[in-house]
Amino acid sequence: MNHTGTSLKENLLSYFDDILVEISDEHRLTISCKKDSVITILSSLNRNGYNHLALISCVDWIKDNELELVYIISAYTEDSEKGKMNILVKTKIAREKPELLTVMSIYENAEPYERELHELYGINFKGHPRLIPLLLEREYEIPPFRKDFDTRKYVQDVFDKIPFVEDKKGRK
Amino acid sequence: MRELELYFGPQHLGMVGNFSITLNVEGDRIVKATANPGFLHRGFEKLMEQRTWIQNFPLVCRINVVEPDHMELIYAMAVEKLAGIEVPERAQFIRSIYLELARVGSHLFGLWAYANMLGFDTVANWAMYHRDLVLDLFEEITGGRVYHIYIWPGGVRRDFPKGFKDKIINTLHTIGSCVPDYDDTFFNNRIFYKRSKDIGKITHEEAKRMGAVGQVLRATGMKQDIRKIEPYAAYDQVDWEIPVRTGGDAYSRIWVVRDEMIESVRMILKLLDKMPEGEVYNKIPNPFKWNIPDNEAYVRCESSRGELGLYLVSNGENKPYRAHFRTPSYNHGLTILEKALENESIADVGNIMISLYITAPEIDR
Repeated sequence: MNHTGTSLKENLLSYFDDILVEISDEHRLTISCKKDSVITILSSLNRNGYNHLALISCVDWIKDNELELVYIISAYTEDSEKGKMNILVKTKIAREKPELLTVMSIYENAEPYERELHELYGINFKGHPRLIPLLLEREYEIPPFRKDFDTRKYVQDVFDKIPFVEDKKGRK
Repeated sequence: MRELELYFGPQHLGMVGNFSITLNVEGDRIVKATANPGFLHRGFEKLMEQRTWIQNFPLVCRINVVEPDHMELIYAMAVEKLAGIEVPERAQFIRSIYLELARVGSHLFGLWAYANMLGFDTVANWAMYHRDLVLDLFEEITGGRVYHIYIWPGGVRRDFPKGFKDKIINTLHTIGSCVPDYDDTFFNNRIFYKRSKDIGKITHEEAKRMGAVGQVLRATGMKQDIRKIEPYAAYDQVDWEIPVRTGGDAYSRIWVVRDEMIESVRMILKLLDKMPEGEVYNKIPNPFKWNIPDNEAYVRCESSRGELGLYLVSNGENKPYRAHFRTPSYNHGLTILEKALENESIADVGNIMISLYITAPEIDR
């Protein structure tokens, strides 16, 4: 494991006590934390030069009844060791009424990612200035990217109700 | 002056692709711009959760229509990382050459769109012709012109055919010999300079704050390229330079694209010289019964638009549990575009949009 990763791990563990830091791979660092400490961890990473939010993703662990949010952070730097690092900050929240604070104050480009997750997973980001629909045209009872959204049933409900063209109407 | 709302796209002539922007305008000036994606949302990431690891290849390459090859690569890289598959050295070289050809093709397509929009129809047609020559090469290796499904977990699907190296060199010489013509008619043209200088300007600080990658970042003076930072395929085997400009405007961005194309051509020639002999793929398990162990991976590569990433999660089954693409156009089209359009004129909307190199299918996925 490279020096940057281990020193960052020690640094983080000295500041925060309720987090789990794991060096999963060369140049990949996984931080698991509670949902309240996401903001402080991300701002501390940002102060340490990890100033590029590459992605905010969400995984629906339906068996555990939890949604896992993954913030992927890297650095804008010409330092080769630091540039290679990708930090995955993970937190788990309940599937019912999921709520989280927005990270837009730290990373400005979080705005569309949070809008997307709000729409596809139904996560409410508190403090987000415009949580309006991004990609979808309709509203669904269950947010469509969750695992319990039944795509087959949806297709049957929507398309099976539209009648087929009858053969008499001119088609041979 | 009264403020009006103007819908720009998806049917507007100046709009490239299925994308729309709502502009609040005062006369000719844009007060506020709001990007509206979603016209091309096909739910690929959800579809991928219901198909096996191999069945996903025809899906991923359709995420970005203009350059499907980097999508194949990123998915193959993620699957290789999860399943622990090695790639032979010759396959790494073939991947690099193939991806650089794809980059040249994609940049020529971008140049077509940009030149066409500025009214340089001659240059646009040259670029389209030269892109077609690159597509001919792809057709010969893979049988497909646009979608190839050539990169595969464990290598590439087949070796280059006999005499293919000379064909690549011939095509590159044809394109390379036209660079002075491109320069005379387009890049050193006063009209291009006047239309693009200081248009859609983004400072270095703003670019970093808003998540810029690729040309948009390199046009603000930062040498950032995933091929250098975290080399994949065979990019660490040859010497090459990262082209950089400092203006941060449309003019600098298009110049970076031009320089990158030339650098890619040079790189392909160097890679062809160094290419070793050997196998081009390692065997993978039976794709119908291929279960990948419980794990997750985040991989990234440099597509012709910037940093492309894929977060892939497996829960031990024969299909992905979750796939999420980090596409470069996402931040360029949703965050930076809105900022770059402020206080510009309506006539420059297409100009700024194409110079930011936005493709709608990448945003919507």
